[in-house]
Order: sequence, then structure tokens, then C-alpha cells
Amino acid sequence: MFNFNELTDSVADGQVAKATELTKKALAAKVPAKDVLNKGLLPAMNRVGKDFEDGQIFLPELLMAGDAMKASIGLLRPELSRKGAAYTGKCAIGTVEGDLHDIGKNIVILMLEGNGWEVTDLGIDVPPQRFCEEIKKGGYDLLGLSALLTFTMPKMPETIKLLKEAGLREKVKVIVGGVPLSQSFANQIGADAYARDAVEAVVKARELVKK
Amino acid sequence: MQKLTSLERIMKAVRLQEPDVVPTFEIDIDERVIEALKPGASYEDFVEYMDLDAVCYHETRTDSYEVLNKEKRIVRDQWGAIKQYSGVSFGIPMLLEPAIKTKEDLKKYKLPDPARPERFKRIKDAVKRFKGKRAIIATVRPFATMRDSLRGQDDLFKDMIRDPEFVDDLDRLLRDYYSRLVKNLIDAGVDIVLETADIAFTNGPMVALKHQSRFIFPALKEIVDYCHRRKTPCLKHTDGNIWALMDMIVETGFDGIHPIDPVAGMDIGEAKQKYGKKICIMGNVDCGNLLSWGSKEEVRATVKDCIRKAGKGGGYICMSGNSIHGAVSPANYAEMIRAIKEYGKYPLKLA
Repeated sequence: MFNFNELTDSVADGQVAKATELTKKALAAKVPAKDVLNKGLLPAMNRVGKDFEDGQIFLPELLMAGDAMKASIGLLRPELSRKGAAYTGKCAIGTVEGDLHDIGKNIVILMLEGNGWEVTDLGIDVPPQRFCEEIKKGGYDLLGLSALLTFTMPKMPETIKLLKEAGLREKVKVIVGGVPLSQSFANQIGADAYARDAVEAVVKARELVKK
Repeated sequence: MQKLTSLERIMKAVRLQEPDVVPTFEIDIDERVIEALKPGASYEDFVEYMDLDAVCYHETRTDSYEVLNKEKRIVRDQWGAIKQYSGVSFGIPMLLEPAIKTKEDLKKYKLPDPARPERFKRIKDAVKRFKGKRAIIATVRPFATMRDSLRGQDDLFKDMIRDPEFVDDLDRLLRDYYSRLVKNLIDAGVDIVLETADIAFTNGPMVALKHQSRFIFPALKEIVDYCHRRKTPCLKHTDGNIWALMDMIVETGFDGIHPIDPVAGMDIGEAKQKYGKKICIMGNVDCGNLLSWGSKEEVRATVKDCIRKAGKGGGYICMSGNSIHGAVSPANYAEMIRAIKEYGKYPLKLA
């Protein structure tokens, strides 16, 4: 029987080679890919997310765990049916125009991917029009907007306004985050959710697609 | 108390003594705020106009750049990294390609010249204009250079675990550069050195304490020790929640700590109570929401509260919680300065 705990530990500890080897072993033993994701990788990312939030681990450990997770997911991807049990939803995410910060956004992406999300990273300094173009392509459940600078925050309501004007607002939930933001700001601009960190982003994102 | 010069005021505060008034300056003031309050003024004119106690010159603003694509604002910085500037942001470029991608790159790497005369021109002008009157401060940022130019943040952070000796080598390289740069800055007439690399996030340190001790603080200690040998105070800036780092910062010998980041939940009263006898407390006036969107009354109340909590006995410089960025309301910043001069007079009369 495949030892999921061993895979969880190897991913959480950022051991890329070991996580790769164990994932290959699981697939060779015909363990369903969704089980590898849900019982091996997801607990690992939840553990590192919580440990990061609690100050037990730091950015280097988080990034190494992310690499191990990506290596494992890369092997599982062909086996995972896009809309199968392991699939949570599809999200486009980016840091708003004028803002070049990406650490927070990248941590959120890492956590979302580890929790069954298909994520399109639009990068940093993303104009409202670019967010709209991406959502227009269709298939998205969620749009994530990140800002670290107070003076780039107005790009968030601008993006939401453009989505409305393009008739896209009802097609996608909008979640916002970043150090200077707050729940009241999110309410004020008509976002569907605010997350103060990556762990909360995963929880809120899941709630949004359940609704 | 007899009126002090701005320089004396700042020096008293960093030496944990009580000046005549709580001093103030900013690490950065956006040109939009300057233009709104004093149209046409240069930064130095503005410092005089607002009667700020120090001028502050950024290391990165005096770095040399090679423009690779003017339209797309892509440059090669003096370290060899390729970066792209946003049209809107506060001069913070995005790293497209780090200077050192492999160990081979490191072997061949040649440091830029820390004595390049152009770097010191503005500081020398400031010395002519302000020496002995206002404090002349220059910033340095070795860890940020390692992260943002030499290696790139993701690879640098991962290297700390997968190849720590590589990070040691990068650190050694930079220490050589920065020891010479700091010497040159002090030789040029700088009164205070301010180290500005962020080493924490809102929820705590960027990297574990063992990694801080190995990869970040030894370079800081060298800078602080050198400054002290030259009788020059050395201050530390870092955003984020730094409770876990405060002991290390104090033990390294820094004379001041900025900005006691209010957005990261740092309480200035607690900082003063725990560390105020060992290090000058600087900052804490929220520039995210308060200075951008708050009312003048709220700004005055916050300044009063900061001075009440941290001003007692001196050892406090009242500043924003980061910088006066482009979204700060100019009227609020002017109100902040007025409030500092009003509430900050020693002996303090705040309940």
C-alpha cells in the first residue's frame, strides 16, 4: 500500500527528488492521481501554509516545498482529468497595474495549485484591460487581484468596473489581497472576497466556487 | 531648551537623548507630494521649506544604468541585472534576469566601482549646502542587492537551503563592495548611514533566524562596526513584523530602527518600552491608509499618540511607517509635520 504520509513529508520538507520518486512510485502502483493529490500533496501544502502563517517556516522552506509540489503535480497532470474530483476550479491572478510586487501573489498561486486549482499567472503590473481579456477567454471561476502599494489599490475597482462594462462580472468571482487592503476596502469596491494571507485565500476561494 | 540645529536634533535622538523637539525626516518623498506642497522645488529645497531634519540619499538612485529599451523602460543595472521599470510605481523595478545565474557567472563576476565619482556628486552638493546644519544620510542595502540584482529572490531564498555555500560566496562578494562604499560615503561627508534592505514580511522574518544570522547579519555587523569606528551612527530600516529580529538588530549595534511598521501590527509603545533604552525608535505614522486617506484630525491624533508613546526621554524620530509615497495626501503630510513640531516640543506635555 502506498505511503501517502511519506509523500506528504517529502513535499512539506521541500525534497524535490524524493517527492518525484514517490510520485512515480505511486503512479506505477496504479494509485489514482487524484488520491496522490488529495492524500499526499494537499495535506503537505496545507501543512506548509499553516507553518508559514505561524512563523514555523519561512520563505525559503515554502519555496522549496512549492518546487517539490510542482514536480509531483507535473507527473500527475496527464492523469488528472481536468474536471475530475481533484479539480477545484480555474483562477486567473495578477498584481495590479503599477505594482511590481509578486512574493505574496506567488505564495497564493503555490497554495491554490496545491489545493487543486488550475492557475493562470498574469504576472505583475497587469492593466485592468489585461485581466478582462483573460476572463473573456472563458472557463474561469475566480479572478485574484493583488496589490502591495496603497496607490495601486484604485486599479482594483477599475478592473471590477471594466469587468462589469464588458458583461463579465457575473461570470467570475473576484478575490483581492495585499498588505494595505482590508475587508472594508473589498466590500467598498464590490469584490466577492478579501484574503489577508495565502491560507485564507485558499479557504475563501473554495467557499466562493461552492456558492 | 535652547533651539538646536536639525543635525544636533537628529544626533541627540539617535544617541537616545532628549533634543529640543522630536526630529523628523523621511527615507523617501515622492515628487508628486513635493510638487503639490512647494511647486517647482527640488528635494533639497523641499527639505528646507518643510524644515525636515535630514536629507536622505538612496544608494539605488545613484547607481549607474545602461538603458536597453527606452520605450519598455528596460535597463541593465550596475550589477549586471536586467530590470524593467513600471511607468507608475515608486521606482521599484521588476527583475527580468539576475546578474548571477550560475556558479560560473560568479567566478567571472566583476564588482561595479564603489568609488564612481558620479555617485557622490549629489551628496557632495548636499554637504556644501547642509553640512553642520541638517543631517546628511545615505542608504545602503547589501541583502537587497543580493536578492534583487545578483541572484533574484526565488533562487536566492532556495539557495539558502539547497546551496548555502553559494550564498556565502555572494555575501563575501558584496561585503567587499559595501565596506568600500560605506567608507566612501563617510569620506564624502555623510553624517549617518541607513541600511534599508527589508528582511521581514507582515507576518514575520523573511527567512529563519539561522539564515538571518548566516547570510544577512554578518554584513550588517561589518557596516555598523565600521560606521562606529568612524563615529557615524548607523540605522536600520525594514518593513514587516520584526519582533523576532529585534534582539539581533539591537545586538548588531544599530543606533536606530525604522519604521516600526504599523501595517505589520508593530506597536510603538511596546517597542519603546522593550528596546527604547538601547536603540532609537523611528517611524510608525501609518502611510498606507492614514496619510493617504485619513482626515487631518486623525493624522494629528496619530502623531500625538506616537510621540506620547515613544517620545518620552528622547530617542524617537517621528516619521511615516515607510515613506511619503505618491498616494500620500500632501495636506496630510504637511499636517503631520505641523503636529510633530507642535506636540514634539520637549519637555513633552502629553498625558
